[in-house]
Amino acid sequence: MSTAPTVAPSSQDTGPKHTWTSTGKGKVTATDALRVVILVTSALVALIPIVWLVLGSFKTPTELSQRPPSLLPDSWGLTNYADALTRFDFGTYLMNSVIVTIAATLLTLMINSMAAYALAKYNFRGRNALFLLTLATIMIPLQVILIPVYQVVASFGMVDTLWGLIIPAAATPTGVFILRQYMLSIPDELIEAARVDGAGEFKIFLRIVLPICRPALAVVAILSIMWRWNDFLWPLVVAQSESTYTLPVALARFTAQETVPFNLIIAMSVVSILPVIILFLFFQKQITTGIANTGIK
Amino acid sequence: MIEAPIKQAQRRRKPPLSLRVAPYLFLLPNMAIFALFTIWPAINGFNISLYSSSNGRTFRWEGTGNYQQILGDGEFWGIVINTVVYAVTFVLLSIVIGIMLAVLVDQQRRGRSFFRAAFFIPVLISPVVVGLVWNWMLERKNGLLNTFLGTFGVPEIPWLIDNTLALIAVIVVGAWMQVGFYMLILLAGLQSIDPTLYEAAGIDGASRWSQFRNITLPLLQPSVLVVVVLSTIHGFQAFDYIYTLTGGGPVGATTLIVQYIYENGFVSPIRYGDAAAGSVLLFCAIFAITIGNYVIGRKREAV
Repeated sequence: MSTAPTVAPSSQDTGPKHTWTSTGKGKVTATDALRVVILVTSALVALIPIVWLVLGSFKTPTELSQRPPSLLPDSWGLTNYADALTRFDFGTYLMNSVIVTIAATLLTLMINSMAAYALAKYNFRGRNALFLLTLATIMIPLQVILIPVYQVVASFGMVDTLWGLIIPAAATPTGVFILRQYMLSIPDELIEAARVDGAGEFKIFLRIVLPICRPALAVVAILSIMWRWNDFLWPLVVAQSESTYTLPVALARFTAQETVPFNLIIAMSVVSILPVIILFLFFQKQITTGIANTGIK
Repeated sequence: MIEAPIKQAQRRRKPPLSLRVAPYLFLLPNMAIFALFTIWPAINGFNISLYSSSNGRTFRWEGTGNYQQILGDGEFWGIVINTVVYAVTFVLLSIVIGIMLAVLVDQQRRGRSFFRAAFFIPVLISPVVVGLVWNWMLERKNGLLNTFLGTFGVPEIPWLIDNTLALIAVIVVGAWMQVGFYMLILLAGLQSIDPTLYEAAGIDGASRWSQFRNITLPLLQPSVLVVVVLSTIHGFQAFDYIYTLTGGGPVGATTLIVQYIYENGFVSPIRYGDAAAGSVLLFCAIFAITIGNYVIGRKREAV
C-alpha cells in the first residue's frame, strides 16, 4: 500500500481511453457488437431480481400465487407497505435499523479518526506495534469470534439491547487504516503552526485535522452505513426479542416462521434495499474509488 | 536555511507533557473497544474451545475433547467439504466473471458508468433480501426462472430441492451478489495499465487474445491477488444470504461452517464447545490461506 492519500480524485472517467480493442470512430465491428450483447445480458441478470422484487411489492397475495406469475401488478397502490407498517411492527424494526446505523457510524467515525490521528501525526512508543496490531485483526472476522464476543457482551448486560448491536464492531481496523493514510498527507507545519498559536491538542484535531479529512471521513461513513444497514449475523445473535430486531433480522425470522404474509415481506425488503441504493447513486464516485483504492468493503 | 538548526534544537528538547500524553488519549477509546471486543475474544476463543457448555454459563473442562469430538463426526466433515467446495468454486467463479466484466466495462465507451453501476448494485442489497428474492425466483412450481425456462419447453427444475442443484444455486447466487465488488477492484487495476503497451503490441501485430494474455493478465496480477484473498475470506464466511435462500438445506446440503458455528452456539441444543472448536479451525484455515496467497503472490511477482 502506498502512503499517498487513498481518496485521491479518480481519473477513471476522464483518463485517456486506452482500450486495447478501441476501434476507429464510427466503425462498429463484430467484437463491439458482441461486447455490448454480453454487457447488456449481464446487466439484465444483475438487475432483474431487483426489478422483480420491486414489482412484487405492489402485488396482492392472489396475484403473487397466480400461475404463470403476472409481470406487472394490477395496481400501484402502497397497500403492502402500509399494512406492514401498521398491522405489524415493521416501524419499530425500521427505527432500530436507523438508530443502530447512525449511532454506530458516528461512533466509528469519532473513535477511528482519533486513533488514526494519533497513529499518523505523533511519535510515541508502541506506535508501529499498535498500528500492526490494528491491521492484523482484519484477519479476525466476527464469524470467527462470535461466541467469545457474545460472552463479553453478555457480561456487560448488553444482550438484547441496541448498545449491544452498536458498540462491539465500532472500532473498525479498515476505518483506522483509510483515515491514517489520508492524514499522513496533512503537512506537519500546519499542526505545528496551530501549536505555536497556543491551540490545544484536541482543538487542533477538531478544528484543523477533521475538516481537512472530510473526503476520507465520507468514505468511511458511507462504507459503515452500507455495512451496518445490511448487517445480519451479529444482530441475529444479539437482538433476541422483537423490540430490538433490526430490519434484516425481522425479515429473516418472519420469513422462516411464515408469520407475516409474503407480500408484506417483499414490501419491507424493498424498504430495506432502497436507502442503500439511493446512497450509492448519490455517492457513486466516493464509493467506487474508496473500494478500488482499499479493496475493502 | 537558518530555520533548520532551530527546528532540530526544538526537537531535541523533551516535548511538553500534553504532547506526550495526547496520542495515548486519542487512541484510548478505539483501542479499548478493540481490546474488549476483538483481541480479548480472539484469545479467549481458544480457551473456550477447550471447555464444553450447554448454556454458556457453566463450563466443563474438555481439553482437546471438543476437537476430537467434531473431527470424528461425519456431519462436521460434510460441512467442511461443503465449505471447501463452496469457497473454491466461489473464488474461481468470482475471478473469471470479475475479470470478464472488468475487461468489457473497461473497453466500453458508451454507457460505461451505467454498466459499472448495474453490476455493483447487487453488492449493496441486504444479503437477507438476496436470499429471499432468489428463493422466490427459484421456486420449483411458480418461480420466475422455471416459468421463463418453461416457455422454451424446459421441465420444472427442482433448484432448491435437489442437493447438488441447491449447492450450485447457493454458489451462483453468492457470485451474483459479490462479483460487482471484485469487478471494481479489477477495473481499477486495468485502468492503471500503461496504454502505450497496447499500442506497441498493436504495432507489432499482436492479436487481441495475445495482448490479453501477455499484457493484461500479468499486469493485472496484483489486483487479482487482492480479489483472491478477499473472495476466499468471503467464501469461508458465507452465511447470511444462505440463511434465507436455503436455510442450509435440503438436509444439510448447503450448510457451511459459519452456520454450524451459529447453530451450535445459539440454537438449542447448544453445544458451545463444538462451536468454539469449529471457530478456531475456521480461523486457522482463513489465516493459512491468506498467508499462503500472499506468499504465492510475492513469488510470482518476483519471477
